[in-house]
Amino acid sequence: MTVDQLVVAPVLVALVTAVLCLVVRRSLRAQRAVSVLGAFAYAGVVAALADRVLSAGVLTYNLGGWPAPAAIVFVADALSAFMLSLAAVLTVPVLIYSVWYVDEFGEKLTFHPLFHFMLVGVSGAFLTGDIFNLFVWFEVMLMASYVLVVFYSGAQHTRAGLRYLVLNLVGSALMLLAIGGLYATTGTLNMADLAMRLGNPGEYGVALAPVLGLSMLLFAVFALKAGAVPFQWWVPATYRAAPAPVTAMLAGVVKKVGVYALIRLYFTVFAAAQLDALSLPWGDTALAYFGPVVLAMATLSIAFGGLAAVGQDRLEDLLAYSSIGQVGFIVLPLSVGAFVPSVRHLAIVAALVYALNHTLSKGLLFLVAGTIRDATGTTRFDDLGGVARTHPVVAGAFLVGGLGLVGIPPLSGFFGKLLVFQTAADSRSWIALAVALGGALLTIAYVSRAWNRGFWGDPSAAVDRSSVDTRQVAVLVALAAAVVVVGVGFQPVYEFAGHAADAAVDRANYIEAVLPDGGHLATSGGEH
Amino acid sequence: MTAESAAAGTAGPELVLAIALGLLFAFGTFLVLRRDVVRVVWGVAVISQAANVYLITMGGISGGVPVLEKLGHEAAPHGPVSDPLPQALVLTAIVIGFATTAFALVLTYRVYQEHGTIDADELAAAGEVVR
Repeated sequence: MTVDQLVVAPVLVALVTAVLCLVVRRSLRAQRAVSVLGAFAYAGVVAALADRVLSAGVLTYNLGGWPAPAAIVFVADALSAFMLSLAAVLTVPVLIYSVWYVDEFGEKLTFHPLFHFMLVGVSGAFLTGDIFNLFVWFEVMLMASYVLVVFYSGAQHTRAGLRYLVLNLVGSALMLLAIGGLYATTGTLNMADLAMRLGNPGEYGVALAPVLGLSMLLFAVFALKAGAVPFQWWVPATYRAAPAPVTAMLAGVVKKVGVYALIRLYFTVFAAAQLDALSLPWGDTALAYFGPVVLAMATLSIAFGGLAAVGQDRLEDLLAYSSIGQVGFIVLPLSVGAFVPSVRHLAIVAALVYALNHTLSKGLLFLVAGTIRDATGTTRFDDLGGVARTHPVVAGAFLVGGLGLVGIPPLSGFFGKLLVFQTAADSRSWIALAVALGGALLTIAYVSRAWNRGFWGDPSAAVDRSSVDTRQVAVLVALAAAVVVVGVGFQPVYEFAGHAADAAVDRANYIEAVLPDGGHLATSGGEH
Repeated sequence: MTAESAAAGTAGPELVLAIALGLLFAFGTFLVLRRDVVRVVWGVAVISQAANVYLITMGGISGGVPVLEKLGHEAAPHGPVSDPLPQALVLTAIVIGFATTAFALVLTYRVYQEHGTIDADELAAAGEVVR
């Protein structure tokens, strides 16, 4: 529709910031300034892009000026803009926090460039309209995250890093297989073109049965990135090993890349495939296969994450297992939406709002855990206790984040939970409703357990003689305020998520925006 | 349909590649399941190279050109040509694979420095103690 340079701006800003951080690495002060300013600039361009997308519709940018199906195309629609905003909202506070958290030697060494390179990968993954390019951005993001996970390079960090690395390398190889297979079957890598060809398999000579299998292979890779059961093993050790701000980003933003890829590829692209011979009783698109698989995974994630979180004896482990359960909550409405077309729009809104809530709340909670570790040297519940008495503001931030996870009004989590329940109730899928209810109870159980053992009661010896960094606490307060603000001023967020869901299901509009001349490169692209 | 008809005349190389791919993936998987971490890294390297070979194979080595055929060309204008796109993809994938393998080997060395072992079972046992 409209070609716009702004589409590539988020990737460029993050890339330039990362390189500049390397250039000025000799001066810690200059590096910090560049890094923090870069984060604000990133948030600025994301806000500008989101504003433009919401007023002008889908924006595209053909890299190198080549016409769409041949070139790599960047597509900014409301869904991409929503995910980018989610990343930007967490990036700024986390980066400021890490200036006060990561030790100076580490900061000087690699922290800031790596942080921004990770952001480059995340932004590219949200914006690209090409499945092979999606693989490349995943690798950019993962490469930076590997190094950030082993940042402290002690025994447990290298061990966790190795596990994270090997799993993701196998995942990448699987993704490459799926992409190669899709290219051989459909003859295209462009998502819009793919959706169009899957919609008219006869015209393009596309066999749909292999596409179904290949889409499931891709699904496994995205589920691995999102850390849903049964691909969750890497999550706890990795989250424990990484520095607190990095964990906040991994749980808050990097996981959501997997969720985004699920929504984009399944609801926008693979849903176009009408499987006549292979159709199931409850639906005839690829989503009919997606639904039961995701429902099972969401159920297992919520149950496993919740139950395991209740039994943890360290705050960070509790939060890590809780992340597994919360990813279950994010994909649960997606499974319902895959089953029942009438609630598909609502389901995606629910998933997006829940993802935003999880990003803010869990990001905040991991930063709280970091502050407590920094101040007391431990996050074991046995050594904690009484934080609420000695450091009431830190405890207050934990309470806001924890209640945000539980879903108490007026915090952002309330609407996330409400929409998940509404999706389940509107579609009369009582299984999903029961799972969500059980998961909500488990969330209450582990949040209140963490509160009782870590924050309530008499201060332990470690807590009593600890002192917190007030600059870290200031960031915690700001993030806690964001959790409240998103809840209180929910209407614009809801409308934004609504537009994002429109963009995710409006396949014709997406194809029209990316391929304005119907994708016939042979006729129109000849003179290029 | 089109890929099959293109391949039907010269199934030889693709059959050989299909068998080689199967062996590579089996060998890579076998290595990944070893206890020795260096072998695990080798296994991952073999699997990612196998994925590259697979990409080239799926691109059609015997003259099938998905990007041209499926856009409505009756035949490629200059006779049968190989599809250049999978080769570009593989080049990218090789570079990424090179970087990640190098990082994995360095990380393995670091794991050895920290633990004095690269046996996966002993590493897992070390994890239990720390916990």
